[in-house]
Amino acid sequence: MAMNDKALSRRRFLRLAAAGIGAAGAAGVLAACGGAAPGEAPAADAPAEGDKVVVELTFWWWGAEGQIWADEYNKLNRGAKVTFVNTPFADSHDKLLTSFASGSGAPDIASLEIGRVGGFTAKGGLVDLKAAPFDGGKYEKDMVAYKWTQGSTSDGRLVAMPWDIGPAGVWYRTDLMEKMGLPSEPEAVEELFSHTKGKKWEDFFAIAAQVAEKSGGATKMVADAATDIYGGALRQGGEGYFDGMKVLIEEKATRPAQLAADFRKQKLDADIDWWGADWATGVKNDAFLGMVIACWMQGGLTREQPQTVGKWRIVPAPEASYNWGGSFCAIPEQTKNAELAWDFVQWACCSAEGQNAMFKPTGVFPAYKPAWADPLYDEPVEFFGGQRAFRMWANIADNVASIVRSPYDLQADDIVNAEMAKVMNEGKDPVQAIKDAEAEALKAIEGATP
Amino acid sequence: MSTTTFSSAEQRAQDQRTLRKEAKRNAWAYLFVSPFYLLYAVFGLFPLLYGVWLSFHQWDGISPMQWVGLNNYIKLFTADEVWWKAIYNTVWLFFGATTPQLLLALVLAFIINSGYIRFKDFFRAAYFMPFVASAVAVGILFTSLFGKQYGMFNYFLSLFGVPGVDWLGSADWLKPSIAAVTVWQWTGYSMIIFLAGLQSINPELYEAARVDGAETRDIFFRITMPLMSGVILFQVVTSIIGAMQNFDIPVMLAGGTQSSAPGGTDRAGLTAMMQLYWSAFKYNTGSKSGFGYASAMSFILFFIIVIFSYTYNRWRGQNPTED
Repeated sequence: MAMNDKALSRRRFLRLAAAGIGAAGAAGVLAACGGAAPGEAPAADAPAEGDKVVVELTFWWWGAEGQIWADEYNKLNRGAKVTFVNTPFADSHDKLLTSFASGSGAPDIASLEIGRVGGFTAKGGLVDLKAAPFDGGKYEKDMVAYKWTQGSTSDGRLVAMPWDIGPAGVWYRTDLMEKMGLPSEPEAVEELFSHTKGKKWEDFFAIAAQVAEKSGGATKMVADAATDIYGGALRQGGEGYFDGMKVLIEEKATRPAQLAADFRKQKLDADIDWWGADWATGVKNDAFLGMVIACWMQGGLTREQPQTVGKWRIVPAPEASYNWGGSFCAIPEQTKNAELAWDFVQWACCSAEGQNAMFKPTGVFPAYKPAWADPLYDEPVEFFGGQRAFRMWANIADNVASIVRSPYDLQADDIVNAEMAKVMNEGKDPVQAIKDAEAEALKAIEGATP
Repeated sequence: MSTTTFSSAEQRAQDQRTLRKEAKRNAWAYLFVSPFYLLYAVFGLFPLLYGVWLSFHQWDGISPMQWVGLNNYIKLFTADEVWWKAIYNTVWLFFGATTPQLLLALVLAFIINSGYIRFKDFFRAAYFMPFVASAVAVGILFTSLFGKQYGMFNYFLSLFGVPGVDWLGSADWLKPSIAAVTVWQWTGYSMIIFLAGLQSINPELYEAARVDGAETRDIFFRITMPLMSGVILFQVVTSIIGAMQNFDIPVMLAGGTQSSAPGGTDRAGLTAMMQLYWSAFKYNTGSKSGFGYASAMSFILFFIIVIFSYTYNRWRGQNPTED
């Protein structure tokens, strides 16, 4: 009997243990399938402040400065607490797409970059900010016009609220300009190569040649013609290699490619790729004294090259003003708190207060035009050595070519960039390279027309 | 099961009875192993089968899925030069990185095991260290070492008056650069596996060979290598699988930026997994990209892995699960 008792108790023990493991396993599976998704409904664990239940919202962006918005917004106690998640740029959009494909995991507020927005507006997954209960339509007149179009679908729904734009121009270092015996005050430099004084890229090339000559080749005008010259000249003609299914690569990229190839051939750039370790070292070593890029460089330079703060100035680009980059805020359909998310989006993107809270420290420039009326824009900016640079960005922003977006943008960019690399690194003929890029795009993207 | 005195019907009934009885007797054991199978079904088997299903569709992840039959496969085989370039790069990197890595690892393991050197533990740890480093850290480290203007490698070259090389920018140097980093990161891992194999060889065999007057060379080729064939086979097969899925190092060194394409100049560093990932997540619109198209890519890769592994097995005349 003793034996039997033991066996029974052992069996019972095993049964309990098995049940326990099974339950834990099942719970694990469930948790992995959706329970862990961010942005859940305010369940029993929703924190309460005073007698107000506070809903948690997640906000994804790829800049560490996103925390600024979360902090400022949370101070206002508008019923939601925003948690900022820094999603690296390289996979932020991929992560969002995955959450759409799998049906869970999307944030309450997502960010979309201009290069990827076309891929999202062409499809579903984001709420229409013009349909009840949202009333986003009222902000149309306040936003930069082309930006509004980009955030809208072809059937007129607004799925991505314009956040920031990227007015761009020529940046230069005053200390290095002086060293080269060149003028360093913005008014004088503007005379040298800005379109506002009727100057062209050829004038810019001439100054670049002087810089290379006077420094004995140690300092160049810019880092990399593929970014500074091609990137600028292309966007002056209005960014976008696709208009509907029509491929515009040859039409838009040929001259910019020629300019960049020419610039490189004359050894006017430092031949340092952007966005890498070499570039950062190049700034420290004075390998180049300027760059042709958008306003959002301010944040990164402040963070990573503090020794240059106060030495930068900006002037309008040669030939025309243009825009580079910018983003949107969107609310995924998966959110259970769309109305509170909308409250955040309105505060962040559609109010001078929210937009300028982000803009002032980072240079992330508002697409919301009323924000530009703030006295802030006429103040001297320390980063630009006291230049009234913000007003200049606003003036540039008002005068840029419109940008056409398509779901094929990223693929077309990569096709052209692959050919441009051959031009820059192997001396391939730019006209032929762009022809090849157009041919490849027509082949790679079914339905594309010349 | 050994007896033949039953007719086949009786035999089957008998077998079934035994099977049921066995299953009942071992019910608890089945229950205990079930968590693995449940999890495997959810996280392993289902995604696999779903992938097969997906490969017959066109799907961008958001819009409704669209059945396209074999079209994805047909397009990949007949009208996608970039994909085959990526396959070529991947196979190149297998031979250019994995082969030297395994050879080097084998030689290093032999040296460390041989008793010629002291501080074995130190060398073992030192060679293994790169394997522990995260791909991101490795990527940052090597992009700065490979820098065209300020990289350390070019600095060393300049000390000898050799002009700098555009390691990551030129189509000719990109693949060797990726291969070098792969060898650097993985040799230590392979070495440890080989070392484990070497240590299972009875040292008396070496002693006997020495007594018979064998040279180190002969010992390596006539004793070590044959006895290691099982371990080598394991290494080669897992390396084939790993190399065909080569992703993180190429992405870190040539993943593309706002002004450059993934894979670098002439897409010399674009691997098959990179092209697959970009097709699924970045170019996901249209009939020659998206999740369905990428799934089809993954099955082509799967069959390439099977063919390579099978060929090697046949060549060595062994099955990796035996031995």
